[in-house]
Amino acid sequence: MKQWVTLLKKEMLELARNFKWIWVPLTFILITVKEPLTLYYLPQIIDSLGGLPEGAVIELPVPSAGEALAASLSQLNTIGVLIIVLIAMGSIAGERKSGVAGLILVKPVSYAGFVTAKWTSLMMLIWLSYFLGYFLSWYYVGILFEFIPFVDFLQSFFVYGIWLTLIITIVILFNTFIKSPGAVGFFTIGIIVLLTLLSTSLSHLMEWSPALLSAYTNTFIIGGNFPDELLPSIIVSVIAITISMIASIAIFKRRELA
Amino acid sequence: MPVVSITNLKKRFKDQEVIKGLDFQLSEGKCIALLGANGAGKTTTLKMLAGLVKPDSGTIVYEGGEKADFRRLIGYLPQFPVFYDWMTGKEFLEYAGQLAGLPKAEAKDRAAELLELTGISEAKNRRIGKFSGGMKQRLGIAQAIIHRPKLVMLDEPVSALDPFGRREVLELLGRLKKETAILFSTHILNDAEEICDEILFLHGGELIESGTLADLRTRHQQAKIDLVFKVNTAEYAEEISLLPPVSSMELKGDSASFLVEDIEDARNLFLTEIAKRKWPLLKFEISRTSLEDVFMKVVKK
Repeated sequence: MKQWVTLLKKEMLELARNFKWIWVPLTFILITVKEPLTLYYLPQIIDSLGGLPEGAVIELPVPSAGEALAASLSQLNTIGVLIIVLIAMGSIAGERKSGVAGLILVKPVSYAGFVTAKWTSLMMLIWLSYFLGYFLSWYYVGILFEFIPFVDFLQSFFVYGIWLTLIITIVILFNTFIKSPGAVGFFTIGIIVLLTLLSTSLSHLMEWSPALLSAYTNTFIIGGNFPDELLPSIIVSVIAITISMIASIAIFKRRELA
Repeated sequence: MPVVSITNLKKRFKDQEVIKGLDFQLSEGKCIALLGANGAGKTTTLKMLAGLVKPDSGTIVYEGGEKADFRRLIGYLPQFPVFYDWMTGKEFLEYAGQLAGLPKAEAKDRAAELLELTGISEAKNRRIGKFSGGMKQRLGIAQAIIHRPKLVMLDEPVSALDPFGRREVLELLGRLKKETAILFSTHILNDAEEICDEILFLHGGELIESGTLADLRTRHQQAKIDLVFKVNTAEYAEEISLLPPVSSMELKGDSASFLVEDIEDARNLFLTEIAKRKWPLLKFEISRTSLEDVFMKVVKK
């Protein structure tokens, strides 16, 4: 346990020295907050860019508060996921490639501790950034449109967070057996895209798919109710996270490090 | 009880057999050199001992048995050590110490002590990314011994250093010898002779010679007589080589070397012959073959 704290502290310090505690939350805030702002100011933006020709009447439907927040969520689901993968793809693979992992793991370091400390530090960074971004977006939606109940915000926050957690865990899993950070990123993105495509096109067969968590959260924010398929989807996600974590540790123990 | 016993260790990379069956033991408090040319299998052997590469067959058993975590017993420095560039030297040592199980305060003290011992305490607060090669090598040694392991393995600790740095690191190893067993690989015999008690000589993945330096000398060294004549050294040497104690003769420029069976006999015979025939002798020298000659011979076989 003491050793695990040492490992975690090192990860935290590394994130600080790379300024990741600053730029990752900032990026998440930018991509989420930009949605309610552009949606609200769209008429003015069109005006200031020269406006519409005289006589043209275009009704811009005023989006609902739910739609504005859902737009932030969809940004998280694309750019946000990409950022997560980019940040996490080298976390173990990079250390193995450079050789520093060999230097550290000839010390009596627990393999499970090494992997979980990496995972925990990433979780803290991503959940913090995700919370700040999503919370500020909720706040601006409230100011510009109308306030969505805070409880609803929290529910959607946690449900969608499960999907992000699964992504972090998958990146860590690939990290334990692929030595090149680029390849780790490629395969993780590949899996996410494949899973999302399959789940959305075969949604009647794959209602339990973790990739649908974002769709379910959307439905909830806009319509106010989670669909019935939410629970299986959450259960499958939690199982997938657990299995990936156990597999990561088991694989990492058996790998040759040099 | 040896710190580690190795039996019939084998490793193959793709179609090349790199280690062809090694057997040896390392005991506590000894300094042992793993000597061999490039590609002899030194690095692979050390990596297997450190647990970074898994052997195809054979066993490596550390004191305490196969169940215990042997990593407590060993310190390891790879040939090209890489650190976290964003850490300072002091931070890295304290981190390594804590990972090895030292309490925080002790890791701090020990790190300070080792920074002093390895001569990098002036740079302790500098980022490792800005360290020179020699400083990294010394930091590498410091991190390998921070938890006072019973066996320290160093992969070519001096090969990448300039003569000055090499001198310092060798002296450092000489001092460490008192605290822990050292196994270090090198391709330079001089380094091995300087600080080690024993030598394991690796060639083509096999252990072809091992033992203490004194043993190796008596086993392999031969008496040698060098002669130089004023003129026509080659001609005279030819005749001398026919004398009975001479086992082989070699000409090097102006001087001729003779390997002889019995040094006393040979000296008397050589001198009487030369005096009798009034040859213009300039130099007469009795010496021994160096270990270097011995190993060159073994490798060429």
